[in-house]
Amino acid sequence: MTASARRAFAPRMLIAPSFVLALFIIAYPFFDIARMSVYHVSRFGILGGFAGLANFRRIFADPVFIATVWRTLVWTGAVVSGTILVSLPVSLVLNENFHGQGLARTLVMLPWSVSLTMSAIVWLWSFDANHGMINATLQSIGVLRQPVQWMARASTAFPIEILVGILVSVPFVVTIFLGGLSSIPSDIYEAARIDGAGRVQQFWRLTLPLLRPFISLAVVLNVIYVFNSFPIIWVMTQGGPAEGTQILVTYLYELAFRLGRPGEAAAVSLAMLAILMVFTTIYVRMQMRSAEP
Amino acid sequence: MRILALPPEAPPMLRRLTSGLRRAALGAGALGVAAFAPQIARAATVHVTVAYYSAATGPYFKQMAAAFEKTHPGTTIKIDVVNWNNLQQVLQTDVSGGVPPDISIIGTRWLLSFVKDGIAEPLDSFMTPAFRNRFIPVFLKPGEIGGKVYGLPIAASARALFYNKTLLTKAGFPNGPKTWNDVIAAAKKIKAMGAYGFGLQGKEIETDVYWYYALWSYGGHLMGANGKVAFDSAAGVKALTLYKTMVDQGLTEPGVTNYTREDLQNLFKQGRLGMVITAPFLIGQIAKEAPKLAYGIVPVPTGTVQSTYAVTDSIVMFKASKVKKQAWQFLDFLFTKDNRVLFNKNEGFLPTTRAVAADPYFQDNKQLQVFVNLLPKAHFAPVIRGWENVAKAVIDAVQSVYLGKAQPAAALKTAATSADRALAQ
Repeated sequence: MTASARRAFAPRMLIAPSFVLALFIIAYPFFDIARMSVYHVSRFGILGGFAGLANFRRIFADPVFIATVWRTLVWTGAVVSGTILVSLPVSLVLNENFHGQGLARTLVMLPWSVSLTMSAIVWLWSFDANHGMINATLQSIGVLRQPVQWMARASTAFPIEILVGILVSVPFVVTIFLGGLSSIPSDIYEAARIDGAGRVQQFWRLTLPLLRPFISLAVVLNVIYVFNSFPIIWVMTQGGPAEGTQILVTYLYELAFRLGRPGEAAAVSLAMLAILMVFTTIYVRMQMRSAEP
Repeated sequence: MRILALPPEAPPMLRRLTSGLRRAALGAGALGVAAFAPQIARAATVHVTVAYYSAATGPYFKQMAAAFEKTHPGTTIKIDVVNWNNLQQVLQTDVSGGVPPDISIIGTRWLLSFVKDGIAEPLDSFMTPAFRNRFIPVFLKPGEIGGKVYGLPIAASARALFYNKTLLTKAGFPNGPKTWNDVIAAAKKIKAMGAYGFGLQGKEIETDVYWYYALWSYGGHLMGANGKVAFDSAAGVKALTLYKTMVDQGLTEPGVTNYTREDLQNLFKQGRLGMVITAPFLIGQIAKEAPKLAYGIVPVPTGTVQSTYAVTDSIVMFKASKVKKQAWQFLDFLFTKDNRVLFNKNEGFLPTTRAVAADPYFQDNKQLQVFVNLLPKAHFAPVIRGWENVAKAVIDAVQSVYLGKAQPAAALKTAATSADRALAQ
């Protein structure tokens, strides 16, 4: 063994244990899912014969799956962009020095400390047609004359779910943005003021460009979280009525555990992985390209 | 070995984990430390998973376990109470993890999958003729597959129409509606009084069943002789059109796709709903929660024929069980008269054994007799593999019709195609 080979050998040996562990944790479930997706699998996970691509063909032939893919993209896009749009001004305000700043920060972070399932249940109750506070409030201030059955149709239920999704995602993104804002040196604002830049100009020319890496981070992480987020939709509508609020992860759960088709569910989960990978690759590429001067 | 023993309340996940460890330890024992083996095998523990029917379910089974342990020293019964909505998933994960319970309550409609996958143990070798004779034959039938008994009917119910006496008397039907035309006429009057006429379920489990009531009442069938679905028939269209018309005329509660069976029962208990079709357990709930409510029970309204839906839940033994003898003794114990009477009284189910049916409590119970009398005309859910897929397709279809997104005939055609495709797999 030459000296240079030995030098390369030692560090590899040092990372080997954690590499093997990571490989095991990531690779085993992945291998298991990939195997299930090409087999006939019974309700109880017993592998039958080799199915080739039959599971994939079946889900792609299912009109519900196709509609669900589009709805998932709408869900992810709406929740992530909504979250960013809400979080930006909120974190700008929270970054200012004002009386009660600590309290305000705590209040914004609060939804984060409540489990997603619990938040979803509370909102479901709030939108209850007969006893919910939303209908009660709207009726008492005269906006509504009849109670609205919010969860009875997808056209009202799905936007509500998106709003709840935004609400629970805001704290995480605000945290990222506050970190980003505190990393921007204050003297550049001073210089800009001396050069005659107004607050709006400061925001567009300084804050936003300097926050960009943090916005990218927030977008990528949130897309992954929201795309895979199960509790809100499952608790509020279970993907119904008439599949009108189904997203891929609820569809997958239903296939696996309600309808007893784990093979197809495995195929859906691989499709989800592919969609996320494609998105992340494109997004990261775009960011890297536009970050170059 | 002791270290690996878990308290009875240990969640299945943990149990699964330790059972793996235990297996590993047993393997090690077989290799060298065989002397320890007898110690492990001595005491038998029977794991029993039961479905949550009501707040009384858990205490009832724990009481049974304690009574059984007293007369069977050395046997421990561990009861796991699982919510209906999660039961299928829990069993599915337990079985695929290799640690099913020894006995479990399941929906009889799942039984075929259990049998086809070789998970359920046939019970015939345990059953004496006298034991078999305890049951009312119609209830033993659904647990029989390929000539063997795999599931014993632990719970049975049928459906009938509950009506609010105050509202229906004002509407001119003091003895309840008999036909769908009666239902419509009464609902119109009730609507004018400011209450909801006919409760129509449009959400979650059994949304499909609520439509089968009407389908069967027009002489329709779920499955045809050719093994394909048959609900997209003229009777089916008629039944769905009937419901849709009621929705459109405001004769149901508003926003039907927002109402589960429990929501409807709650409306009924509050006195805001004129009529609802449901199971006998509502009797017990009303007695407890709305004792002043004046109500009556009549058969499911007729279109052209009288019919109802009957359901049984089965208790099964798992093939993987290592304590089948003790498990069977516990089953035998559960199906003795007094234990069954107590269970049926607690939960409001129909008797499944002759001795219980002959008990004065059930003989003199006029309300329950309405359900019992309907049994000869009852339909059971078909025993076919993948039934959930058919139910799901029907739920999607009726929901889209209630929401005005599809026409009855077209929606049923679509559902039939997708159900047949799922069944063919």
